[in-house]
Amino acid sequence: MKITDKLSENILDKLSVDFLRNQVLKNAYGNNDTVIAGMDPRILLVWYLFFGLVPWFVNDSNFLIGCFLLVTITTLLAQVAGLVLFLFVLGVFSQTGYLLIVTLLFGGDTSAIAPLLVLTLKVATVSLASVTVFSGMDPDKLANGLMWYGCPERLSFSISYAYRILPILMEEFQNILLSYRLRGNPPEHEHLWGKIKYLIYQINVIIHAFYPLMLNTAKRSRTTVEVLEIKGYRYAAVNQEAKKMKLSSLHVENNDLLFLSFSFLWTAVSVLISTWI
Amino acid sequence: MNVIETEHLTYSYPGAVQPVLKDITVSIEKGDFLAIVGNNGCGKSTFCKSLNGLIPQFISGDFQGSVHVCGLNTQETDVGTLARKVGYVYQDFENQIIRPTVLDDASYACLNYAMPDYRERGMQALEQCGLRGKEQDFIWQLSGGQTHLLALAGALSLQPEVLILDEPIAQLDPAHADQIYAVLRELNEKYGKTIIVIEHHTEYIADFCKHVMLLKDGSLQWVLPTEEALQRVEELQSCNIFPPQVTIAAHRMQKEGRLDAGLKLPVTIEEGKKLFVKRSFCSMKQKDSAKQDRETAASFREVSVSYRSVKGAPHTVFSGLNLDIRKGDKIALIGSNGAGKSTMMKLLVGLMKPSSGDVFLDGKSIRSMKPEVLSQKISMVYQNPEDMFIKDSIGADISYAMEARHTADSIRRTEELLEKFRLTELKDRDGRLLSGGQMRRASLAIGVALKPEILLLDEPTANLDIATRKEIMETLKDMKEVTETVVIATHDMQLVCEWADRIIVLCGGQVAADGSRDEVFGNNEVIEKVGIRPPEIFSLGKAVSPEALCYTIDDFLNGFEGRSLEYENN
Repeated sequence: MKITDKLSENILDKLSVDFLRNQVLKNAYGNNDTVIAGMDPRILLVWYLFFGLVPWFVNDSNFLIGCFLLVTITTLLAQVAGLVLFLFVLGVFSQTGYLLIVTLLFGGDTSAIAPLLVLTLKVATVSLASVTVFSGMDPDKLANGLMWYGCPERLSFSISYAYRILPILMEEFQNILLSYRLRGNPPEHEHLWGKIKYLIYQINVIIHAFYPLMLNTAKRSRTTVEVLEIKGYRYAAVNQEAKKMKLSSLHVENNDLLFLSFSFLWTAVSVLISTWI
Repeated sequence: MNVIETEHLTYSYPGAVQPVLKDITVSIEKGDFLAIVGNNGCGKSTFCKSLNGLIPQFISGDFQGSVHVCGLNTQETDVGTLARKVGYVYQDFENQIIRPTVLDDASYACLNYAMPDYRERGMQALEQCGLRGKEQDFIWQLSGGQTHLLALAGALSLQPEVLILDEPIAQLDPAHADQIYAVLRELNEKYGKTIIVIEHHTEYIADFCKHVMLLKDGSLQWVLPTEEALQRVEELQSCNIFPPQVTIAAHRMQKEGRLDAGLKLPVTIEEGKKLFVKRSFCSMKQKDSAKQDRETAASFREVSVSYRSVKGAPHTVFSGLNLDIRKGDKIALIGSNGAGKSTMMKLLVGLMKPSSGDVFLDGKSIRSMKPEVLSQKISMVYQNPEDMFIKDSIGADISYAMEARHTADSIRRTEELLEKFRLTELKDRDGRLLSGGQMRRASLAIGVALKPEILLLDEPTANLDIATRKEIMETLKDMKEVTETVVIATHDMQLVCEWADRIIVLCGGQVAADGSRDEVFGNNEVIEKVGIRPPEIFSLGKAVSPEALCYTIDDFLNGFEGRSLEYENN
């Protein structure tokens, strides 16, 4: 009993907004000293183009396993935050698990497992590749990389600014939820029915928290908008010179080439193995 | 040479009937250090925003007259060019930071304006603001004072002629406030920048500023040298500005006929030291609040807490903290920014859980108490009142907690509270749209709605002008009768001296001192170690006579008198 209490307290603790905020920050900026974070974003984007697209069109399981192993390694190298990995596992297995159950329910048999495994492998490979690139790199690098490939300035600014505003939004959200917790009166949640009512209450609170959240954030961003004007954001958006200077920080280094050649070699070996067998 | 010249500047916000600025003609000399003073809503910020072209170019409205900055007409020059002449630091400076790392943010404007040496400029600005060595830090690793310095560096990187700061020290502890002003003085003296501050801490004006400009209801009253400006005690007070306590004390002595009428009033402690002598100072000993007699309301036992950090090891706030709060205590919780004041409050209301040790309320561990039970006993008012407003009117906000608990007379009690906190007229307004003082009062009313036994207030007087602050202090004194035990976390030492009967000083996760105001402020060792600053009148008393302990101007007037003749000869 004691242990289950402890466990449920622990899980509840994990689900706090504070924890989410911490994970978002960790994900964006907490791993900027890894191999992946040190790489040139343009190279990583090219790399992603391959591992994000090719697995969809290949059905050979050896090749897929090869790719999967590679992206697993890169994910480990990127030191992605725990929450993201958890969401990844949950996403992949709930998706294919659900398909398996549906197949079995509607008269399929265990022979469906093999093709489903291939699908799982595909989804997992592509997801891990995305995780490596989008959460291993810090948002500013990613934004610069996209800008180099000609994405509009507004998009890249939005990416890096979103990460800046997200912790503020979550902090604000947390404070409002705390207000509800301090002043609200949630229903008893000892028994199952109580728990359901409690869940409904919580969802209700979250919905109601949006109104003050939006107003508070709007009030705060009034200053930010004026500052962007003063600091020449609009000016830079149309000025080629400023863009060039922003991108001049990008450099392809030995590490990048090494990474590319290693990935290429690995893929080549996977292809070879799959044609052999 | 004048850097700023305005002629017949009249401005009203879009849709407003009354102009905010009325026919202002003023010129500000290059190299000046000017303080703009005036009551809330007199147009100080509006005036400053008209200097960097945000008004009328970004914020439209009815603009008449003209403003010239460094010879440029603000209506004809674009905001970008003006930004290189006038830097602006907002009051809510944390919203001014745009980039995630320090150097990035400091050089952001230069990068946008395509200056090839943007990094060097950012570095130089950081250097000038004393942030060297923090270039690669993330902005959330900075303390409040450092964040303000970064906002300043961001404006400074363009090397503007003029720097405008809107209430630069409103949210900072004295050590950080001194640091900001020291940086500003250096920028003014060494780099020849013209500095304009909106400020209502007149002690700082007396110490640092060269001129004072008084605005009253949108009209310019005068621009005078600081010494002269602060002499006008009555005129300033009529605009809700309070001259330094030294000046007020001398002024009152003068009115009582104890000082020569024509005498120049002192504005700093140094000047005051020359003027005043000890009469018959009897330190007014506070009656020792019978410590052991009263019951314990809440207690901390071996409490340790740490925060998760983005990188590296968690940040420890408390380790092994022990503390008792007794019934009927009126506690002021003081300490520098980040000493753990807010954390302590969050522990008490159960919003945070200690990683080891326990917090007890009425002898029971709060781990076993449900938040809704806890909130009947103990209530907390946040530093930021906006976070307390979860409904669309303050009437609904005040009654929310009672209605959630189906309290029988919630309607009547809401009306009582609205009446008591003078909010009846405003009860249908959204809390966020009220003025600073009204917001504060509303948040206090929300806090006491459930008649808690213990009330926690986080910085109740921060960001308020002096008049509003006085008003809130009166409200707090009234509340002594309503709530048995009150804890206030604050930097406001005047509030501490006039209100609290027990002071707890936090420093580095430990209780550095705990006792009456005589025990805390009389203890030089603690004051120096923790970096708290007693009210100016207390320091003045000490400067004249080391054993004096006076906390209010009345105390001071009882114990000291002027030596008018010698002072004049000096």
